[in-house]
Amino acid sequence: MPDWQELSVRGTPVQMLRDGAGPPLLFLHGAGGAGRWLAFQDRLAKDYTVYFPSHPGHGGSPAAEWIEHISDLAFHYLDLLDRLGLERVHLVGASFGGWIAGEIATMASHRLESLVLIDPVGIRVDGWIYPFLFGMDIPEIVGTIFQNPMAALALAPPDQSIDTLALQYRQGTALARVSWNPYLYNPLLRRRLGRISAPTLLCWGAHDRLAPLKPCGEAWAQEILGSRLRVFEESGHVPHLEEPEAVAEAIGEFCRLRQGAR
Amino acid sequence: MKFYYFHLMPYHMEHDESSSWVTLSNRHYDPAVGHTLYNQYLDQLEYAEQLGWDGLCVNEHHQNCYGTMPSPNVMAAMLVRRTTKAKIAILGNGLPLRENPLRIAEEIAMLDVASGGRVISGFVRGISAEYFSTGINPTHSRDRFYEAAELILRAWTEEGPFPFDGRFYRYHYVNPWPRPIQKPHPPVWCPSQGSSETVEWAAKRRFPYLMVFTPIKRIAQIYGEYREACEKNGYKASRYQLTVNVPIVVAENDAKARELARKHVMWVYNTGLRMHPPFWRPPGYMTEASLRRLLANPPKLPSELDFDEAEREGYLIYGSPATVRDKLRVFSDELKAGILCSGMTGPSHEQTLEMMQLFAEEVMPHFREDAKVDETAGVGR
Repeated sequence: MPDWQELSVRGTPVQMLRDGAGPPLLFLHGAGGAGRWLAFQDRLAKDYTVYFPSHPGHGGSPAAEWIEHISDLAFHYLDLLDRLGLERVHLVGASFGGWIAGEIATMASHRLESLVLIDPVGIRVDGWIYPFLFGMDIPEIVGTIFQNPMAALALAPPDQSIDTLALQYRQGTALARVSWNPYLYNPLLRRRLGRISAPTLLCWGAHDRLAPLKPCGEAWAQEILGSRLRVFEESGHVPHLEEPEAVAEAIGEFCRLRQGAR
Repeated sequence: MKFYYFHLMPYHMEHDESSSWVTLSNRHYDPAVGHTLYNQYLDQLEYAEQLGWDGLCVNEHHQNCYGTMPSPNVMAAMLVRRTTKAKIAILGNGLPLRENPLRIAEEIAMLDVASGGRVISGFVRGISAEYFSTGINPTHSRDRFYEAAELILRAWTEEGPFPFDGRFYRYHYVNPWPRPIQKPHPPVWCPSQGSSETVEWAAKRRFPYLMVFTPIKRIAQIYGEYREACEKNGYKASRYQLTVNVPIVVAENDAKARELARKHVMWVYNTGLRMHPPFWRPPGYMTEASLRRLLANPPKLPSELDFDEAEREGYLIYGSPATVRDKLRVFSDELKAGILCSGMTGPSHEQTLEMMQLFAEEVMPHFREDAKVDETAGVGR
């Protein structure tokens, strides 16, 4: 079982899960994924020391008033690497976490052994408007995010208590602060993706309805020179939840090849 | 008690969709019908002044059939030139919804000058759904509200030009022409749903607090909190700082009024306020403390309210003139509200006018001990 750790990162409290042995790997979760150590993380922890922090305002990390923009989160994680004394890591981000990971990579590719983005959002893509999850009820959200709705059960809240509902509201608020408008993207990010020099793997669910392979996945692949794109045929927006073994396998293989390659 | 005539300007219609807000397609809106409605509604407001109402109220809502006044200042402008005595209360402008709130300072000043100082300026955040209609980030709602309010109040009261450097709003030259005619500025009201932060903010500034479509028990609770907050700020709340908005139906007898209320007032709650659940609660619109308070005692969604409950809880008032007088005593004598902002709806325009006349003749005169008092003196600024 992973350990819970409480850290202070330049004054911002962070709750983090950690487990495994091997080279360090930082995992940045998507909306609703805070603190959910599942089969995907277990599999990665066999070969890596997995660091899985909850974003401020998500899971057990309290909201941080100073975070107003997605780049604040990217700097927060560069601060976390410094705090942990990790010079270089494998960076894996899913969905919203993939957006943060993409921002980090444009700032500090030299800190990354490799970069893995799982169905990231974060860039504006001509011809696509991300469906507005904030205006959806739970069944609509599940229908948009998951190809296999049963996989959503792993993220289901434990109960409907006031504390649980308040946590969900706090998470939604932390997400909305940086993503309500422009919705789920930073207008400046796409131009900057060309700066990414870390070896990059893009993992994409073939049936993603939030950020579809065409045109979103293809846009990322086009902007990050030399990136590889792997498609997961049974998945929607969250292949690491829908096909955890296969995605972890692909990541392990990619990172192994890049370990120390530069 | 003072009487203000409140209009929502609804687009009455029935539909099967899950929301009357944001997503109800505007293909349902027939501009020819809208033309008739706007003119009837303005006639009703003008008639209210003739019948002796002290004020006329308009308000801002977006993208729905509940209230078709996206710009209340436009409606206020029409009323200013067709009335001479009544206050024109704009309840209000949604401050955080504007990208340039200096425009509100300008428009209210225009109306105030043109009307000879009859304008009351409501400051609101806009209800939850407006954040879906406008794209404004709901997590900024409260801070934008405070900042825009400060900007507008300074623009009305300080000689320009001066610079303003806020988090959301920045100007090198704040110097609006015209300046308002009322000094130091038009009275400001806070229509709100009872969040403790807004209660405190309004009480500190002596801004009257208006509760809209709220059950009596909750009004009593919030009024209590407001009075307490006023005392903490070193003064006793005037009764004209406590304002209430409850829909009223009056007819020759209780039975007839009951039928009308069941049909027309319940439309406002059951259809007009029917909303896709996520639109009620955008992230960050409320503080977590307010959310927890709400969840501890969750109010019923208006769309689920049934008539008996609405009557029991005081969401509406209906009856013969004598019955309505008795029910209003609860507001005037027990809650000690100084201003009643209520509208009326009959089955047709003509019947609405008749209902207004009945109310003005048979109800209003019984509450006029304060006929000579100026309700805006010393409050709202």
